[in-house]
Amino acid sequence: MRRVRELITVALVGLFARKVRTALLLLGPTIGVAAIIAAVGLTDSAKGDLKRKVAELGTNLIEASAASAFGSQNPVLPTDAVERARTVVTVDGVSAVRELSDIVVTPYEEATEKFEVVPVPVLAADAELPGVLQVPMISGRWLDPFDEGPGVRSAVIGIGLAREFDYLPGEVRSIVLDDHEYAVIGVLGQVELEPAFDNAVFISFRAADDDFVEDDIQPNKLYVRAADGTESDTAEALKVAVGLGGPTEVNTELKSEALELASQSDRQLQLIVVAMGLLAIVVGGIGIANVMSISVIQRSSEIGIRRALGHTRGTIALQFLFEAIVVGVLGGMLGVLTGVAAIGVGVAMAGWVFTLQPVLVPGGIILAVAISVLAGLYPAVRAARLEPLETLRLG
Amino acid sequence: MGDADVQPVLELEHVSRVYGDGDAAVTALHDVSLRVMPGDFLSIMGPSGSGKSTMLGLLGCLDLPTTGTIRVGGHEVTAMDDAERSRVRGREIGFVFQQFHLIPHLDAMGNVETALLYRGLRPRERRDRAMHALDRVGLAHRHDHRPVQLSGGEQQRVALARALVTEPRILLGDEPTGALDSKNAENVMEIFASLQSPERAVVLVTHDPGVGAAAERRVRMRDGEIVADERAVRA
Repeated sequence: MRRVRELITVALVGLFARKVRTALLLLGPTIGVAAIIAAVGLTDSAKGDLKRKVAELGTNLIEASAASAFGSQNPVLPTDAVERARTVVTVDGVSAVRELSDIVVTPYEEATEKFEVVPVPVLAADAELPGVLQVPMISGRWLDPFDEGPGVRSAVIGIGLAREFDYLPGEVRSIVLDDHEYAVIGVLGQVELEPAFDNAVFISFRAADDDFVEDDIQPNKLYVRAADGTESDTAEALKVAVGLGGPTEVNTELKSEALELASQSDRQLQLIVVAMGLLAIVVGGIGIANVMSISVIQRSSEIGIRRALGHTRGTIALQFLFEAIVVGVLGGMLGVLTGVAAIGVGVAMAGWVFTLQPVLVPGGIILAVAISVLAGLYPAVRAARLEPLETLRLG
Repeated sequence: MGDADVQPVLELEHVSRVYGDGDAAVTALHDVSLRVMPGDFLSIMGPSGSGKSTMLGLLGCLDLPTTGTIRVGGHEVTAMDDAERSRVRGREIGFVFQQFHLIPHLDAMGNVETALLYRGLRPRERRDRAMHALDRVGLAHRHDHRPVQLSGGEQQRVALARALVTEPRILLGDEPTGALDSKNAENVMEIFASLQSPERAVVLVTHDPGVGAAAERRVRMRDGEIVADERAVRA
């Protein structure tokens, strides 16, 4: 133990005496470990933020949509889909929508040409939608029973579309769906679990039926809030309850899972940066082997005198190996600190939640030490092989 | 002296050293026998090419003979492996070189302490002994100076402190005054003389007649052989 302490002291003194050289040695492991820590930490932090968001939005939102077994063009759900869904006891809330196709939405008639090419989704929605999505109105109000009255043409627009159309909150304004003029009665807040809604127009089922659908209008999608913890069971039950006896199959999807799926691409980026970090560490290791080999030649006289003073070949090898270990430990710690700082900056800038798997801290240091020891082996053996008689140049 | 019961501290028995082999072989030392007794103050002199340096390497256990036996304190060094030989070197022999060979990045204290590393000593004891050794060469007050901050004479005295801090039974000087002016040389020789004791032998390898003459026992070499081994009568 005392011997190990002595070896560490000798290594530290030797490294401290050559500060520039030591700084160069530290560069490789520091950059490598920092890159790996930052890559993993930043993607984890982004995901941590996603988890928080999902927790906020609730993991219990289910989308049940019609999928025709016969591949017909516009599969729909039964007219009583909402009532059918309510028969599932774990269902807390249901809202039905009908996605309408081929409707040209323009802010005013004169702009038709420009907006013809930009498809804006138009949906018929019932009064429950904001409640089930748990999204507040930015301004105005949502569709209510009055809007189901004959000849009433009211529309709620998404927050993105409001921006696109330069809609001012509270402004009395109409938009044109094909050639029907609809009054804008409100703007729906951001729908994180269904980003497409931010650019959509919502109208009542009655208005959709009157203006755009020839047959009796039927919903093609349900949004369902399930009691907490019953998401999967509820989704399965919905398939049966809604689809039973009809020509239509029902697909269900947990919206939070879809959100998590969207973060998968970050994983790939993380892998690339981690690979680059590993590369930096390996290159740093080669640098250590290089610099230390030269150092052994420069210090041959020191090695000779140590041998004359009774240090064995093994001790000389260990002395150089310990220098490599110290470089690895210091480089690893610096790398962890730098990496954590990088995560901190990134998290502060993006407004994420700081997430770092604790295992990465010792992991990063161990990796740096392992590479440094591997790199230090060759110079250490070379140092041990030096013959004292040849390095001391006796008179 | 000449007591038959006293064991030599260092003994060369029919030692030859040949460099290279075949036609290129050069015999640097030819069948040399030498017994260095405790209390000896011995000089080995000879012109360059006489085998002095080869002799020094063998006496210091830094090299092995081609044939023959070397014993240090009765132990056969020629039969040891490298690690054992290193330990004998560290325990029994103190070196002083012409070029001082101090480690440049360590201060005087650090250089002296280097001789005491890996011996299981407490750091406190190591420092005390190093300081004591520096005190003996009159440099305790400069213990925190690095070699570049010391004069040649001072550097050689640090080297002397490093050689004596392990209390070796053999002090081996390789042209120890060769790089010093006459005043510093005198000072260093005085310290060497003061280090002589009944248990210890001081061996100086030199071509300087002045240094050689300071020794009580003078060995002369020529062409790889010992040609004279005289004892000066002390006045």
